This record gives sequence, structure tokens and C-alpha cells, in this order.
Amino acid sequence: MDVYEVFRRHGHKDPFEHCGSVTAPDPDMALLMAKECFLRRREGEHLWVVRRSDIHSLDDESLLEPAGDKSYRFASGYRDVIAKREKALARVRSMREKERTP
Amino acid sequence: MMDDALRALLLALGDDELIIGHRHSEWTGHAPHIEEDVAFSSIAQDEIGHAAAFFSLVADIEGSDPDAIALGRKPDDYRHAILCERPNGDWGYTLARHWLYDTADDVRLEALEQSAHGELRAVAAKLRREERYHLLHADMWMRRISRGPVEGRARVADALIDTFAEAVAVFEPLEFEEDAVARGLLPVPSDALRARYVERTTRALDDLGLPIDVTIGADRAAEFVASAAGDLIVGDGTNFETRDRSSGAGGRRGRRSEDFEALWDEMTSTYRENPGATW
Amino acid sequence: MTYEEKLANFAGHIEAGGKVEAEDWMPDDYRRGVLKFVEMHANSEIMGALPERECLPKAPTLRRKMSLAAKIQDEVGHAQLLYRVAEDLGKRRDAMYEDLVTGKSKFHNVFHYPVAHWGDVALIGWLIDGAALVTQAALRESSYAPYARVLKRICAEEQLHLRHGEDITLELASGTDHQRWMFQDALDRWWLAIIHFFGPKSNVEKDLLLRWKVKTRTNEDLRAEFLDRYVPKILELGFTFPAPVPVEDDGRWIVRDPDIDWAPLEAIKRNRGPETERRLEWRRRMYENHRWVREAMSEPAVHAA
Repeated sequence: MDVYEVFRRHGHKDPFEHCGSVTAPDPDMALLMAKECFLRRREGEHLWVVRRSDIHSLDDESLLEPAGDKSYRFASGYRDVIAKREKALARVRSMREKERTP
Repeated sequence: MMDDALRALLLALGDDELIIGHRHSEWTGHAPHIEEDVAFSSIAQDEIGHAAAFFSLVADIEGSDPDAIALGRKPDDYRHAILCERPNGDWGYTLARHWLYDTADDVRLEALEQSAHGELRAVAAKLRREERYHLLHADMWMRRISRGPVEGRARVADALIDTFAEAVAVFEPLEFEEDAVARGLLPVPSDALRARYVERTTRALDDLGLPIDVTIGADRAAEFVASAAGDLIVGDGTNFETRDRSSGAGGRRGRRSEDFEALWDEMTSTYRENPGATW
Repeated sequence: MTYEEKLANFAGHIEAGGKVEAEDWMPDDYRRGVLKFVEMHANSEIMGALPERECLPKAPTLRRKMSLAAKIQDEVGHAQLLYRVAEDLGKRRDAMYEDLVTGKSKFHNVFHYPVAHWGDVALIGWLIDGAALVTQAALRESSYAPYARVLKRICAEEQLHLRHGEDITLELASGTDHQRWMFQDALDRWWLAIIHFFGPKSNVEKDLLLRWKVKTRTNEDLRAEFLDRYVPKILELGFTFPAPVPVEDDGRWIVRDPDIDWAPLEAIKRNRGPETERRLEWRRRMYENHRWVREAMSEPAVHAA
């Protein structure tokens, strides 16, 4: 008997999500058990089971913590857009003024 | 307006599903593997839902309601196969019966998908899709047990041998069957369905490597006679009284075994004790 | 790091509201405490299926037959989720099952009692699941994260069960005299057990599970919430309470400690409830008779030669 982790996908917009585990003697039984345990209310139309022993994880999860400033990867790293837009518009205004008064 | 042939057909179908669903639901909380407990409960619920579908068709003809049909009749008025009313016994018997019954159900639903009765045809097609899953489940268990340790294999094999005659009796002729067949309500007569069933199950059991000898021993009345062509024919279907009580035949004519009374009493008690109540 | 240092770190982590996963280091008493608690919860779900399955054959309509079967199926499903959490803490499923059927481990008091008729289905579905929901909602804050996660799903399903139970109750309450009697009779038999369900006053100093924030609220607090929520609804439907009769106290509904007879709960703690032995014996027999199934399930898939 093995522990199988269960994943299900609902519709097309979101990827598979983990929803729990079952113990079963083989993949066919695991799929059937998983269907009953995790899809009784049509929470998904797609089902995966994976033997727990086939899942890998990091021994040291501190490796997942970023070392330096990676704010450029986030929307919050671009919060000064309002000020920058204002600066650009001010530039355009001064440019237009110069065109009017030769 | 009473349509005897249609009513007899629908009650046979509905009663089989109701009674076996009732038995299957008795496993809830006890099955030998917890995930299987959950799975088997779905199968039980499906069967009861199927019964409701057939009883709705009866209710339409009679102007009554499905609950009254399911729970308001006297024991003599039920038309299910005796196979369905047997107690669950152990998991070996339950599996054997589940496999035998759901295979029978598939054989008849396949035929009913061609019924001349439009609504019955639609119900049969819908139910057959759910039953496909029941068969998958039963097959998966049979494969696992038949290829597993010898004790499990022996228990299931014994249960299959003991139960086969009762399973074949699912295809006893119905009351008013001639009329049902003539009108295309039942597109294939019971005899022909029975032959299909015997051929299909013996072939499947052979594939599973389960040694099944379906001819009954000398100490019981012969229910099966091997024909000259080598196939199995059910013995004379009319002399029920001379048959071995445990043969499991007669259900389609309202004959019940000693197991039904307690089941009926429990199943209908709340309904009977409160006539007209809503729940 | 020494054990003491790890322990101090762990205590600080819990104090700060930190969570614990199955793979994390944990002190022995935390692991043992959580395991015992989760195991008892799992046992209660599987034993809880028994009283209800005793009523299932008598369901008075086809729809109730299916919906009650589905409800009990959910309870077995909860047991499955919880046994998995316990297994991942290091105890094998068959060991837990053997401890259950031999009486070594415990399950909630309410599942030691007999059921009589459909009124019990209404009561269990509405008030016992209502009580369970109060305690389980609080446990979603548990420091043991795998437990908190399954509780999220369990609580969502219990909400449904509550509505199902209330639905059945309202039909009885608005039905015939005999139907009203069915609910009242069930209430008369079950009310004390429901009060017991929350347990006696928590000992905040000594309660390891509160200290480690596996549990986050006291027994008396949870019981008070239950009473405030359900007593008015029961009274509104015209039903009456047996002992301990709830009374109003400063805008809240309470039961007075002297009115509570704790003796039946003491018997249950020793597995001497009215139905304990019969139900455990049944499970024992089924378990022993189905060794061959467990053996067949232990084999990897065998393919035809």
C-alpha cells in the first residue's frame, strides 16, 4: 500500500491543485478512491494521482528565501508610476508651451 | 390507466435497484478499507437514484408518487430478483453479488436503450453511463482479488458459485412479458438476455482465471441443464414450487425468500407508521 | 542545538502564532498530543457513522435515503482525511484501527448512545453536527497545519450537514403530532450527551493541547457559543429541554454546573457507554473477518502471466 497524493483540475483557467491523499495498493485503485474522496461534488473534471515517493522537495527550504532586492519582479516595485506619469506630462506641457511662444 | 406490461417491467427494474441499493448502503461505515467505504456508498446512492428514476415513470402512469411506490407496497407486491434481497454477508459475497448484478444490469440496459418507450429509452441510456462506473469498480476488485492471495480468491470463487444461479434468475421472464416484447417495450426477451449474460459472465470469469462450475451438484434440483450445443439452459421455469428454496427464482412473480420480510419491515417502517406525512 | 534550545525555539514559534508541518521538528509531547487528538477525532468520525447507519434503512423517502447515505459517506470521508493526518504523524492505520476496536483508544461520547427512530436523524444532523461544527471551526486555527487544512474541508461539509439536519427537523416540527414527538423524544434522550460533548471546564494550566495551541478555545467557551446559537432556535420551535435545562443569564444561555450529571460521561471514558461494547464488538468481528481483504490490498498489482 502506498500513499498517493491527489491533484484535481476544474475547468481550463487554473492549473491542477493538490487536494489531499489516499492510501491504495496500485494506481488504478488510487484513481478510483481519489475520485470518491475528492470529486464527489464535481470539484474538478480532471484527476491525477502521484505516489508520494515520486514527489521531491527541498531539504532546506531557506533556499527559497530571496537574498537581495528582487522588487523588480513585483508590481509593488513600480509604485512610483503616478509620479513618473506626472513628470512625463509636465515635460509635454512645457514642450507645447515652447511651441506656442517662438 | 393501468398498463400491466409496462408496470411489470418498470417495477422489476426499479425494485432490483432499490433493494440492492438498500443492501449496499448497509456497508456504510463498515467496509474493510476506508476509501472503499466511501466509494461503495456512492454506488449505493446511485442505485437508489436509479430506482427513483424507474418509479417516477410508474408514478407518471399511475398518478401516484415514487415514494409511495418504493415504500408503500406490501411485501408480495415487490418484483425484484431474490439475488437483491440477500443479506450482505461478508465482503467476498458482496463483491461477487456486486459484480454479477452490475454485469446483468449492463446486459439489460444495453437492450433497453432500444426500447420502443421513449422515456424508458432515455432513462436506460442515462443509467447505463453510471453503471459503467459500477462495472469498472467491480472489475477492478475482481481482478485484484482473483490475482491475490489464495484465501481471497477462494472466498470470492465460492461466493460466485453459490450465487450464480440466483444471478441468472435476474433474467427470469417478467409478468406480461409477451406483451412487453411484442410492443418493443422490452426489445429483447428475457431468455435471450439470459443467454447473453451467461456467455458474458462465463467468459469474463474465465479471463479472470476463476474456476467456475455453474452446473449445480446432484444434491440440489437441477437449475441448469447443459444443452446439446454445450450452452446452459435454465431448467423448466414454471414449476417454482418443486424448486430448491435457495434457487433464487420466482422474484419476478412476487415470490420472496426468508430474507425479505425483515428488510421490508425496516425499510418501510417509518413510512408506514406515518401515512400522509411529509419528511 | 540542544533539545532544550529546540524546545524553546518551538515554544516561541507557537506563542507567536507559528504553524507546524508534518516534516518539522516537534517536541515529543506535541507529537504525541496531536496524534492522540487527531486519532480520537478520526475514531469519532468512523464510530459516528454507526448510529446514523442504524437509522438509514428506515429513511422515509427515496430522497432522504440518498441524502442521509451521502451525509454518512461524508463522515466516513472525514475519518479518511483524519486517519491520513494521523498516519503522517507516524502511526499506522491498522495499529489505530486495532486500538479502536480493542478499546484502547477513545472516541467522542455521543457515539456511544443508541438510536431509536427518525427523530434521532433530525437531532444528530442538526444539534450534534451543530456542536461538532462549533468545536471544529475553532480548530481551524490549530497550530498543527495539516490538521487545520483538513478541518477547512470538514467544516464546509459539516455546514451542509447542519442544513440537512435542520431541514429534516423543520419537517418534523411542522408535521403531525407524532412527528413532533419524534424530535422531542430524541431531544429528551440526547440533550445531556450533547452537553457532555463539550467536556468539563478546561484546565488552562494543565491542558497541553491549549498550551501548544493545537486547540485554541476552552471547552466552556465553545459550549457557551453552542447554547447561545441553538437554545433560542429549539425553544422557538416549541420544544422543551430535559435536564440540564438551559437558563438565561445576563443575555446569554447557560446550563448550570450543578444541573449537569457527569456520571454517564465517566462511564463512557471507560468505554462503558450503552452501545460501546456492541458497536466495538461488531467492528472487531468485521475487522478480523476481513484480514484477507487487507492482505489482498497489500499486494502490488499482479498482472496476468
